[in-house]
Amino acid sequence: MASTAERVRQLVAENLEVDGEAVAVPADLSVSLTDVGVSSMEFVAFAKVIVAEFDVPLTPDDCAGFSTLKDLAAHIDAQAA
Amino acid sequence: MGASRAGDWWRPFSLVGVATVVHVDLTPHADHEAAAFGWLDESEQTRWRRFHYPGPRRRYALCRAALRVLLCRRLGCENRRLAFASAPHGKPSATVDGSPVPVSFNVSHSGCHGLIAFAPAGRLGVDVEERVTHRNLDLLVETVLGEHEQAQLARTRGDARTHLFFKLWTMKEALIKAHGMGMALDPSRVEIPPVMLRGTTQSTLESPEMPGVRWRLDDLGNEQFAAAVAHELGTDSGSSGGNGRAPETPAIS
Repeated sequence: MASTAERVRQLVAENLEVDGEAVAVPADLSVSLTDVGVSSMEFVAFAKVIVAEFDVPLTPDDCAGFSTLKDLAAHIDAQAA
Repeated sequence: MGASRAGDWWRPFSLVGVATVVHVDLTPHADHEAAAFGWLDESEQTRWRRFHYPGPRRRYALCRAALRVLLCRRLGCENRRLAFASAPHGKPSATVDGSPVPVSFNVSHSGCHGLIAFAPAGRLGVDVEERVTHRNLDLLVETVLGEHEQAQLARTRGDARTHLFFKLWTMKEALIKAHGMGMALDPSRVEIPPVMLRGTTQSTLESPEMPGVRWRLDDLGNEQFAAAVAHELGTDSGSSGGNGRAPETPAIS
């Protein structure tokens, strides 16, 4: 099974876009969704996608608060442990 | 400063009670963007550089610079004396020489449109959204709309459905932004007055999610975008509350 980091990266590619373009995420997930310019609507939808995929609690506020997607992946792993 | 040489990229949009709403043109424009960048302070320029894509970078600079110009005009202060901070849930606030500014404001942008709302006092929230079809629209509907709102949406089809969703979203987002809790508040529990789903463009409401506060809510949507403004009402006949001062005449141009 793919790692959490790989699944998060895939979910970003499938679900988030900026100005009609898919969001490109580096393999090490060293990017902040806030710095990408994700809207509040995108945060709300993406948090629900993460919850559905990993069955972990996550609010849009949580999602916006992570400094990087790597931190989000670590949070998911910690919740699932 | 550069804003006047490049021409202003904002214009008055709407008067909503004692609040004034300004539209900010966010279409790509090299002169406007260069002028806007010159208005940003060092921390804002650092923030600007952190954006990965040109669209969000442009929207941030043009809106923040317009906000700076308009606040400086309203307060009669120099740009360098104005500083911004964010509350825990992201709501921006401003100070002049370290003292909170005596004006309420809020900012929103989407695509090529920005809106800035100002009021003499009282909590204030604004939201604007271009009606771009969202790939997770059904998920958003389940997440942000209450039971009755979902039922109302289920009775609409096509463009009317998209319009109604964005109308509801912007009104809820304006209320949530005004309240200051941001996305920590459950939008599905913030119910929009049913009359506003049937075409009424202004109403007042109280919400159990935001106890003890009465809000004025205005739908400002047009053919180009959905938009709404929410403003905290005082206890003195519908003027904005907050600091007890008499409302000022809006002075934003």
